[in-house]
Formats: sequence, structure tokens, C-alpha cells
Amino acid sequence: MGLLALGTALDWPEAKKQAHLVRSWGIKQLLEIWNKAKGKERDAMLWGDEVEYLVVTYSEQDPKVLLSLRQADILTALANDTSLLAKGGCVPELQHIHRNGEPLPVFHPEFGRFMLEATPGKPWGIEFKELLNVEPNMKLRRCIAKDHMLPNEHPITLTTFPRLGSPGVFTEPAYPISGPKLRSQFVPDEIANPHIRFPTLAANIRSRRGRKVQVNVPVFRDENTPWPWKDPTVNYDLHQWPEDDDVRNGAAPDNFIHMDAMAFGMGSCCLQITFQAKNITEGRQMYDQLSPLGPVLLALTAATPIYKGFLADTDVRWNQISKAVDDRTPEELGEKNDRWRIPKSRYASNSTYISTDARLRPEYFDPDLVIDEDIKQQLLDGGMDDRLATHFAHLFIRDPIVIFNEDLQELDLSKTDHFENIQSTNWQHMRFKPPPADNSIGWRVEFRPMEIQITDFENAALSVFMVLITRVILSYNLNFYIPILRVDENMETAHARDAVLERKFWFRKNLFPTSRPSRSSAGGSGSSTPRSAHASRPATPIGPVEDEYRLMTVNEIINGTAYACPEGANNDSTSDSGEDFPGLIPLVESYLDSVNVDVVTRCELGTYLDLIRKRASGELWTAAKWIREFVKSHPKYQGDSVVSEEIEKDLVGAVIKVGEREQQGKGFRGLECEGVKDLGKLMGKFRA
Amino acid sequence: MTKLILSTGNIVSGGPSIIRKPGGYRSNLELTNSLRSNFLAAQQDFAADAHADDDSAVALNGNGNTNGNGLHHSGRTPASVWTAQEEGALYVPRIDWSLAGLQEEPAQYDITVKLFFLPTAAVAGRAQHAKEALGLVLRELGVKEVNLLVMSFPGMSFEGDCEWEADRLNAKQGDDEEEAATWPAIEDLHRQGLVRNLGIAEFGSEKLARFLKKVQVRPTVNQINIKNCCNVPPPLVKLAKEQGIELLVHSDCTDILSRGTLRELLGPGIRGAGLLADPETGGDGLKGDLAPQWVVKYTAVVRDRGVIENKGYFACAELTEE
Repeated sequence: MGLLALGTALDWPEAKKQAHLVRSWGIKQLLEIWNKAKGKERDAMLWGDEVEYLVVTYSEQDPKVLLSLRQADILTALANDTSLLAKGGCVPELQHIHRNGEPLPVFHPEFGRFMLEATPGKPWGIEFKELLNVEPNMKLRRCIAKDHMLPNEHPITLTTFPRLGSPGVFTEPAYPISGPKLRSQFVPDEIANPHIRFPTLAANIRSRRGRKVQVNVPVFRDENTPWPWKDPTVNYDLHQWPEDDDVRNGAAPDNFIHMDAMAFGMGSCCLQITFQAKNITEGRQMYDQLSPLGPVLLALTAATPIYKGFLADTDVRWNQISKAVDDRTPEELGEKNDRWRIPKSRYASNSTYISTDARLRPEYFDPDLVIDEDIKQQLLDGGMDDRLATHFAHLFIRDPIVIFNEDLQELDLSKTDHFENIQSTNWQHMRFKPPPADNSIGWRVEFRPMEIQITDFENAALSVFMVLITRVILSYNLNFYIPILRVDENMETAHARDAVLERKFWFRKNLFPTSRPSRSSAGGSGSSTPRSAHASRPATPIGPVEDEYRLMTVNEIINGTAYACPEGANNDSTSDSGEDFPGLIPLVESYLDSVNVDVVTRCELGTYLDLIRKRASGELWTAAKWIREFVKSHPKYQGDSVVSEEIEKDLVGAVIKVGEREQQGKGFRGLECEGVKDLGKLMGKFRA
Repeated sequence: MTKLILSTGNIVSGGPSIIRKPGGYRSNLELTNSLRSNFLAAQQDFAADAHADDDSAVALNGNGNTNGNGLHHSGRTPASVWTAQEEGALYVPRIDWSLAGLQEEPAQYDITVKLFFLPTAAVAGRAQHAKEALGLVLRELGVKEVNLLVMSFPGMSFEGDCEWEADRLNAKQGDDEEEAATWPAIEDLHRQGLVRNLGIAEFGSEKLARFLKKVQVRPTVNQINIKNCCNVPPPLVKLAKEQGIELLVHSDCTDILSRGTLRELLGPGIRGAGLLADPETGGDGLKGDLAPQWVVKYTAVVRDRGVIENKGYFACAELTEE
């Protein structure tokens, strides 16, 4: 989350009246920055990661583990810590004070009042040795965060709090449910960051939608789970708000865990990576090429098997966030006729490609993409090309949700606030970010689908892996295009329990250019099309799009067919049987073989790749599987899908122990004897 | 005697030839596969060119006396079409130097060159070989200097049960005298400003210590091959640290191009380029003894972006007619 402006936030009926103005000013600001920055060249590869934490209270003697709502106090403590200040910490406005040496990490508020976000104090570069600083830096962030909490508070990186929204007390301090903003029958208004932006966001989404959000997750059906299963925590007799009728009108169907507030989604922690491109062309290329990888990385990082105290039948957070911020009106949902029907929530997988790449075939686009034609025309008139104009005209079908009255006095073209208002409330799995108004940094692409992992080792491994993948894509000029609707389909597939091993994903068969580029300095760094050695070489005929991709397991995609199915693989490297797939890790290794890396760095990078290899092959479990098994093998588990307070406490306790061990640098060995069951199946021998 | 200069062109977008296979580390497959695919591509390209010329010839004299596809009657593109005799060497395939060069200013790149001296070449020729190989790379990349030139000497490896043993075995490998005798020529390239830093490959602690005593311009890099175990032998780590030598990883083999492999690449077989005469059929082609002289690998990486823009190989062989 960026800096939080202060002001008078408009309620939805008022905001709605100003939506058009904000959009039209937003477009003008976009054109301003686009004109200023479209020719920006040769920006360095810089990148950053964002780690999000839940803050819990836990001590062995307390019977319960609770979410701590002291986010503001913790951030204040971080901001007021003079020793941190001296070293350049810690909240953004104080960051510029940094003196010599590495700036300290930066902490940010998040939607959930029980959450924290931390980023490195300055962006990372692409020196390979520097990649090894990511993990220590993540550990430092956790350490600093912990130092500014109460002794019984802990920052943990579970995606969701297992019993968020369960009956009874689950926050510290506790507040009554059914407040005026969220009107939730499960969580209090105080669950959200009290900054006016956040309750307004939640309230206006609800208001625009005309009812509460409906976050329904299929429940996992275990041996003793009653069937059909009716969510026992739903109260059908509440009459405080008009929205209390929602459940009486069928908002909570059988066999689904029912949730009704933004906090159930936006209260999830994830791992996001932002890359700076050398120019707009490379940025657009990266945006497109990373898109098809999103669902695969989502399945690989699955870590979310519990909601509101029940085992879910899905493993990831994505759709729950999508539903938790779904502000579509009944008309937009297609329940009534209106100007347009919008097929997806504001939080959803990407809906279009934006690159100028010649390999982007018309067939890859969604023919039914909803766009605002007027806005597209304004962008075209402003000189923007069709593809990029289409992208932004798609984002701008949404209304701005939070509008501050003070910002509506006059249009300020030296800012991007109105553009960002729409842009940053379009939560797609990739985000294409223009430079800021002062043009001080480059075009950036954010990769957003990954789930946060329990340890910093894992989070560093995934961050570094994604960085290396981008270098491989640009160096080898790889082509991951598949039709965007197949990416949508993959996103759904990634939700299935153990999708990483049990499901297959649409993926492109041949990543390499079909014709070999010039024998001299062909492209590959993105800006120019590879020069052809001989114009006379006949173009490779283009077959049907459907022949370009097939279903693959995550193992095949990550490790390659030769690793995933060694007996079936053809080891002749020049063969092209059509089924052989090189695998992302072998491609990364080929890349590392071609650059100068010192021995220590190569070994550490190798460890990260090994972790990912083993998660993809099933040698190690995902966090989702580990959590699921932890619950199922708990002596108090009744086989009825219920995750009780006691189980929750032991699970969170185990996660805290793992985190403490990691902080101490002592290795995970022996933790299994201290109640952290099956840790070896999650972590293998890594950092033992 | 004929000199052959083989080249791969830029292989970064070369598809399968650059992909690692499980267990396929430390191999010369990248070199051989990319040479083979470049030969094939050149034969197709230039056959198409020849075809286009044929068409114009047909239009001019109307006799239609061509085979219509630019192919020789053997089914292969004639060597004269896709190779070129230039400055005393036969370029396989021919190189269009007008396409040479990098996209950005030379200062943006880290250029690493690795020269493999081969056991099939005379030690006395190494000074000339180094100059020649580096010259081709500079020309291909359109630059005046490279950042790092790594020397790989024949008969060396860094293998064994984990690196401890590798270090011990390594001490007896190679030929100290020849390596030391070669080095002044490499130092010259550095002094001429063509190479900023020098490196070596596969030197264990003992060999490295001996080598350092004999050289004036010291290597700043030693490339070693590590397997799955990441234990670099402490003596080597210590020595490298004391001497300010960076230990880098590589996965090349030292004897990267053997006589047999080269014959197969250029020979008349199904996977060959058809440049050598077929002794069975007595058809056209080069005849004689073919000895690989050196191989050079070059890589140009955009420094602050980590993007490999250009990577390729040149190889040189001498053909002695019988």
C-alpha cells in the first residue's frame, strides 16, 4: 500500500456522482505521464519484494491465539524508534533520513488491522551476490517487526488467520460484530485499518454492490463432515442492518463456508514482486510473458486451506479475495440488463495482453473483453496505441471506490492520484505500472499471484526464482503466450486441493522462436525484433493456436519433461517430439551457466532452485498440504472439517516455533520433536 | 593446409541447443548442437538465396537449366554457397559481418570470453590462436575490448568425489610448463588494452599456487566446476581469497571439441554438414586430416539488467591434405 492521503472520504451515493470526473481526470493524468515516460530508456533492472505478516498474540499458557489489532501502535513504535531512525528506518516518510550503508526495511500498514507489510529499504539490483541479501533482509524485517511488538505478539507469514470470523473472541482487543461499515455478522468493523480509506473502501464496495460481499468457499468433506453441510456459524436471525437479509436470501448455500466481509479476502498475506523494465516495450513484454506463469506459481505456493475455522476444499486465497472486493452491481453481474455485464471482479486474473510483440496473435485475446469505448478513444486521440489503450480502457470500466472531496477541486497534472485511484483498485494478477508523475523511476511490472510462505527462506527462494525467470525470458526471448482465457481457466484450476500435483495447466509447448534469428547480434533484450539473417528464409507457417499449447503438470512446467517423466523423455536434445518441455528450472540453470556467478552464490541459488524443484515434483509438500495434514493428524481433530481453537493454537504455535528457529539461524532440525509435525515434509533438509 | 573457422552465431534464442538436460552438465553439447543447427540454418538460408538467383537467371535466359531448389544433386546445398573463403580461412558458415555488433554502447556490457586451447593443436601456435580468436570475437560484437578473458588449458578437470578429491587430482593435471609459457601472450592482450581482466579455468590450489609464481599479470578469476556438493576445498578458497582471485562456476568441459566430433559435424553423415568428402562414395568435399585448434566462447551481458544479449562460439580447425 502506498502513502495514505488524508481527507474527507465520500460515501458511495456521493462518490458515485463524482466517478465520471475521477475517471476523466485519471485518463488525463495517464496521458500526461505516458507522454512524458514513453520514451524513457535504459532503466536498470531493479526490483523489490513485499512480504505481508499477520500479527498474532500467542503464549504457551494462553488457551487461545488471537489476532492483534495493534497495527497502528506497532507502526508508531517503529516510526518513533530513534535508533532505527538513525539508521534510516523505518516507515516511508522517515526513510530519506538514511545515512551511510544499507537503508533499513520499510514497514507499511495494510487493509487488515492485524497485518503489516515490509519491503526492503531500497530496491534490489541484479548483481547475483545481491540476490543472496534478500533472505537476510527478510529475516531482518521480521526481527525489527518483532522488536516493536509486545512480548506475546508475533509476526507470522500464514496467508490467513485460521479462525478469522469464527464465533467468539478472535481479536485482541475484542470488538462486537455487525458494525455500520462492514455490517458483517462475523467480523467487527475494527478488523480493518482505521484509516478512513479502508472502512470507506469496504463500505462503498458493499454499498455499490447493493448487498454484502459473498465469500463462499467449498468446505472440505471429511469422514465425519455432515452432508449436506450447513455452515453452523451463520446467523439467520440477525436484524440490525438491511444486509442481514442476505443470508435469508440465499447468500450462504449448502456445502460452502460463508463469509461476508472484505477482511476475509484483503486480510490475506501474499508475496508480491515488482520489476523495473528498461523501457515501456520491455515492461509490456514482461507483463505478457509473466501472465501465463501466474496460475502455476499460485498452485506451487498454495498455503490457504482453512477459512473461518473449517478446512476448505481449496488450497489458495485468490478467489476469496476476488469475492471479498467484488463491487459489481446486479446489472454488472448480469442479473439485470444494463450497459454492460462484467465477467470478473476487480480482483481477478488479467484479462488482456498488452505487448507490441509480433508473436502476440489475435487469437490470444478475449473477444468479449469489456472496455469503455469513450475512454479508449480519448487515449487513442492522445496518441496511445490500440493495445495499451484497450488495457487501460478495460481497467477504467470500474468506478473509483474511495474519493476524497479535497481532491476534486481542480485537476493537477503533476500528480497521478486519480489515475492511481482506478489503477490500484484493479487487483489483477499482474499490474503494469507507469512511472510516477515526476518520472523518477521506470516502467514497472508487478507479479501478484504468489501466496506468502511460512519461512523467509521460502519467500526468498520464490522471489529470487521469479527474478531469474524474468532474466531468462528476456535473454532467450521466450514466448509463453497462450489464449488469455486459458490463463483464466488455469487460475481456477490452481484452486483445487493439491493442484500442484493433481491438476494440469494449459501451457505453451514451444517457448523458443520458431525461426532462428541472425547469426550476429539478434534481439533478446526486448526492444527490437530479432534481425533475421536472411529475409528470404520462408516464415515458419503458423498453425492453429490450439496446437501451440497442451495440458502440463506443474512438475513438467517447472522441472521439464525429462525430469518429470524420465522414462518417457527423449534425451536427444535436438529432437522435437512436441511433448518435450525444457522446464523453467533447467532454463534458469542454462542462464546461470552463461553468466559469471561465483561458487558460493551459485550454490545458494542452487538451494533455492532445489526447493522449488521439490515442491513442484511433490518431494516436498506445499504449505497448504502441511497445514491440512497438521490439522488432520491433530489428536483433537474430529474428522468433521472443524479447526478448533485448540488446533489453531497448536498450528500457529508451530509456525511461530519455525519462525523463531529461522531467526536464531539454528536450523529446523529437531523441531518435529517439539510438536512441529511433518516439518521435514514441508522443508526437507533445507536450512536444517 | 586449410584453416576452417566454424561459428554458431548468436545462440541465445537458439532453442533446444541451449537447454540443459538432467545430468547433462559439463558437456560440449551446447557447442556441438549450436554448430550443427547453425550449419543447417545457413544451408537453408543460402539455398533460398541461390534459388532466388536461379529464378532471376531463368527470367534472363529462359533456359531453366537449374535444379530449381538451389540444392546440389547430392541433395545438399553446395559448400560454395553457404561457406566463404576469406582472408586465408574457410568460414563455415559464411558470416555477414554487416550484421555484427551489439545493440547498446559497449560500456553497458560485461563481455566474457573463454578460450579453449585443445590437445590437438600445437602449443607453439597458442599466441597466434589467442590473438585470432579474440579478434573474431571483437569483430563479431563490434567492441574494442572485453572484460574478461578466461584460458582453458587441455587435459585439466576439476572432478572427483566431491571437491576435496578434485583438488588433489587436479594438482597433477595439465602441463605447468606449457601453461606458463602460454601466459605471456595472454598478458600481451591485456597490455594492449583488448582485455581488462584475465582468468583461468580448472586450477586447483596446488596448480594455482605454482602458476601464480610464474606470471606477471595475475588472473583475477578461476573458474571451477562444482557438482551438487558445494564444498570448495578450503585450501583453494583460502588461496583465492589471499590472492584476490574470484572463484566462478562453469560447466564446460576442457576438451570441448575432439577430432571425432568435428569430423562428425562436418562429415557426410546424416548429422553432418556434408563439407568433408565421403571416403565411401569418393564424392566431392574436403579431404585430409582435420585437427581442431581452438574454441572460443563469448557472452555479452547487459550489466545492470542481467540480460544475455549475445552468446556464441567460434572454433578453428586445420585441414592437412594428405
